[in-house]
Amino acid sequence: MKSPNEIEREESAMGTLVELTSVFEGIASMRIAQIKNQVLKATQFFDELWGIYSQLRVDTSFRFGRSQVEEDEIIDKELYIIITAEGGFSGDIDQKLIHTMLKSYNKEKNDIIVIGHHGAVQLAQRGVSYQKYFKLPVKDQNINVTPIIRYVQMYRSTSVFYQEYISLMVQDVRRIELSAAVQAKGQRSESPDDVITEANYIFEPSTYDVVDHLERSMLHIAVSQLILDSKLAQYASRFRAMSASHQRADEAKSDLHLLYNRAKRSLKDERLKEIVNGMKKIRSGAVT
Amino acid sequence: MPEGLIQKTKSTIEPGATAYDGKRMHVKIYAPFKTYYDGDAQSISAVNETGAFDILPHHHNFMTLLSACDIIVRTGKNDEKIPINRGIMHVKKDKVIVFLDV
Repeated sequence: MKSPNEIEREESAMGTLVELTSVFEGIASMRIAQIKNQVLKATQFFDELWGIYSQLRVDTSFRFGRSQVEEDEIIDKELYIIITAEGGFSGDIDQKLIHTMLKSYNKEKNDIIVIGHHGAVQLAQRGVSYQKYFKLPVKDQNINVTPIIRYVQMYRSTSVFYQEYISLMVQDVRRIELSAAVQAKGQRSESPDDVITEANYIFEPSTYDVVDHLERSMLHIAVSQLILDSKLAQYASRFRAMSASHQRADEAKSDLHLLYNRAKRSLKDERLKEIVNGMKKIRSGAVT
Repeated sequence: MPEGLIQKTKSTIEPGATAYDGKRMHVKIYAPFKTYYDGDAQSISAVNETGAFDILPHHHNFMTLLSACDIIVRTGKNDEKIPINRGIMHVKKDKVIVFLDV
């Protein structure tokens, strides 16, 4: 059995771990609240933009802000964007995400863009090549998604694989077609009755430029929000992991404390036994 | 001034001066994560591809892509100056919305 001093040192180290996991748990929880707020703000902005766009549209197709791009300039493939964590502390959700993506991946029909270092490593380990890797943005505001949008505009269609935040304890992998994502977001907002045309509006520089700009803007917001959603899920996953670690560390600390008390008691009992034995020997005259 | 008459002019208004005293419009200038201005104003100045322009109350319905500039919102008391990189301006029924950073 370990000595009480040794156990006491271990208990103290475990106490530090309990405090640390508690701090990480708190940080993750705070970040979740912050990102939720950002998503809410961006949604309001998107809804207002969509209101104008839906008044302007002449057809139902979403053209990714490339109405003036020639058809033959568009790559006839589906672009896959996968949003993963930057580091490795994200549990198994990234593996799950890549597994889901690879189920439908066809080298001839798809190109891949990876956001997040962990995803890039996972793909490399599986021998799957990707077109481009982007770091997962550190900040939660004004995420610059312009380079990603440039790629999106080059391809016929785009699907995004991301981690969806369902609740603090539940996160799941989701695949969404990007233009459908924009339209689904727009359908949530109220559709205005007025129609915006060149007959009742002045456009500068032109209607097409304005529509393209609106489509690009909404794509920006949609992609930013998918990144934020993924970050939210990652923080929730981290929160869950920290919560479990905190609980385990707390239990281990209690166990160590119990062990410490037992070791101390056993030491005392040992000493007491020695004293009693000693006294017995004195009484019996064995020791003088 | 009759409803619907186009008032888009090159910027000629002196700072602080208002062509429509007592007549105001609502101006909101915001980005996805921040609101820069939300309130009444007498006029707003910005720059687009054609050049500098002002929006006054009763302006015709108007949509334009903004160039990098300082947007000036004249409230009648003090002018708000908001530097921007790009944006889109929507003017309708004395309501001006500027969407930034997109």
